[in-house]
Amino acid sequence: MKAWSLVPELSLIVILVIALALIFDFTNGFHDTANAMATPIATGAMKPKVAVGVAAILNLVGAFLSTEVARTVSGGIIREGDGGVLITPELIFAGLIGAIVWNLITWLLGLPSSSSHALFGGLIGATIIGVGSQAIDYNVVAAKVILPALIAPLIAGGVALVATRLAYMITRRDLGKPDGRGGFRYAQIFSSSLVALAHGTNDAQKTMGVITLTLIAGGFQAVGSGPVFWVIAACALAIAIGTYTGGWRIIRTMGSGLTEIKPAQGFAAETSTAATILASSHLGFALSTTQVASGSVIGSGLGRRGSTIRWGMAGRIALGWIMTLPASAIMGAFAAGLALLGPIGIVLDMVIGTIVIMALFRWSRRNRVTHNTLLNDIDDAGRVVHIKKTPRRPRRRDRAKVAR
Amino acid sequence: MIEWDAFLIVTAASLFSAALLVSLYSLGLRLLTTAGRIPLVDPLEFTGAITVLTPKKAAKQQKRARKAAAANPLTPGLKRLALVAGYACFVLCGGAVLFGVYLIVPALHG
Repeated sequence: MKAWSLVPELSLIVILVIALALIFDFTNGFHDTANAMATPIATGAMKPKVAVGVAAILNLVGAFLSTEVARTVSGGIIREGDGGVLITPELIFAGLIGAIVWNLITWLLGLPSSSSHALFGGLIGATIIGVGSQAIDYNVVAAKVILPALIAPLIAGGVALVATRLAYMITRRDLGKPDGRGGFRYAQIFSSSLVALAHGTNDAQKTMGVITLTLIAGGFQAVGSGPVFWVIAACALAIAIGTYTGGWRIIRTMGSGLTEIKPAQGFAAETSTAATILASSHLGFALSTTQVASGSVIGSGLGRRGSTIRWGMAGRIALGWIMTLPASAIMGAFAAGLALLGPIGIVLDMVIGTIVIMALFRWSRRNRVTHNTLLNDIDDAGRVVHIKKTPRRPRRRDRAKVAR
Repeated sequence: MIEWDAFLIVTAASLFSAALLVSLYSLGLRLLTTAGRIPLVDPLEFTGAITVLTPKKAAKQQKRARKAAAANPLTPGLKRLALVAGYACFVLCGGAVLFGVYLIVPALHG
């Protein structure tokens, strides 16, 4: 099988897995438009139509920019055995079902979670049940998935704190004089576009990695090779279409109020998010874009005067993050147990998966989608930091000046 | 097997680039304000996250900005200099973004 050939003749299960992976990619874009574009739409920096279109195009472009993360997923996590990797397309299928179901559940319940971790959790759970725990390279999982997941939001938060301080410090003027900080709204057009680009470079690649892993497992591609062109293109398209459709839902429910994020703060947070994700993608760290964006929002909130952390809220978010990997691993393991029964198991998996997805979908239609279920992740992060309304008592001469 | 230096690189790179971009843009805004061209943004369609300005409030702000600009202690030459420097900051900021993207995409520099 030559790497450059177009879509090869694939077995039925491989086609199923690819379709499922692309659906996962679509839901990822669908879910994450808010991360990049909610702020500029909310602050009025961009018209909603334009913002969503730009986000979709930049996700598409970003997916083509690098393949380091895809290589991490396809080449590192699952160990190689004598006859190629120790995983079968059936198990990847089960892992994906687990990830998608967990994703939908958390999304509808408004729990903070990460679609990336759900994906890894599902795969790991399915592999442990199907092959045994020796098939997983825990070193790679720790070095490229778990540690980045813990450290990247902290890095982004620290960077955002510094950036916010800088932005406020440089534009500070005497009280009562206009400081021109409204101009940061224009900057947000660019910073949020960068976030969309960064999202494409990291999240689209996880799906590429999964599809490539499937092709390797099915024997269609050499062990250790990177994603081929049609895989990259398909994933880029899926995430772009997902972003575009997801945007329309956000727009319809906008106006129900966002966390109060000032333009200067939003700009600093988005720049930090984009910088952290792009640097990590470059080194092949598969991190959760949602978590990095949340870290930035919290960090930039702390960069403002008179801010305090609401620890209860922060704890709730952290708990949701920690739960994702094991919970989706259990889902993946369950689906893998069924898949091991043979073709009947696969059909059962599909039927159960479809029923769950349809049920969740109908449930979401009945309960009108609210602000809570849509923008929960970043918005919750915004609420972690409490900022007093009058943080600085003005100096006496300033007070006199304003009174005049 | 855990590449701690890679985390250091990520931290340093993102800190440097974010701080640079934000500083350049803020400096640009600051210089514009100094030059008397205060960027005032009218309320647009969706203003959930920041204070919603009524037309009356917006007019008041604009008046305040004009007043502040009139009371500017700078000479016209200095004002023009500040304006040019401000725009230069914006251009530098944009250039830094493009350079960053160039560095990340392997296809652009082989």
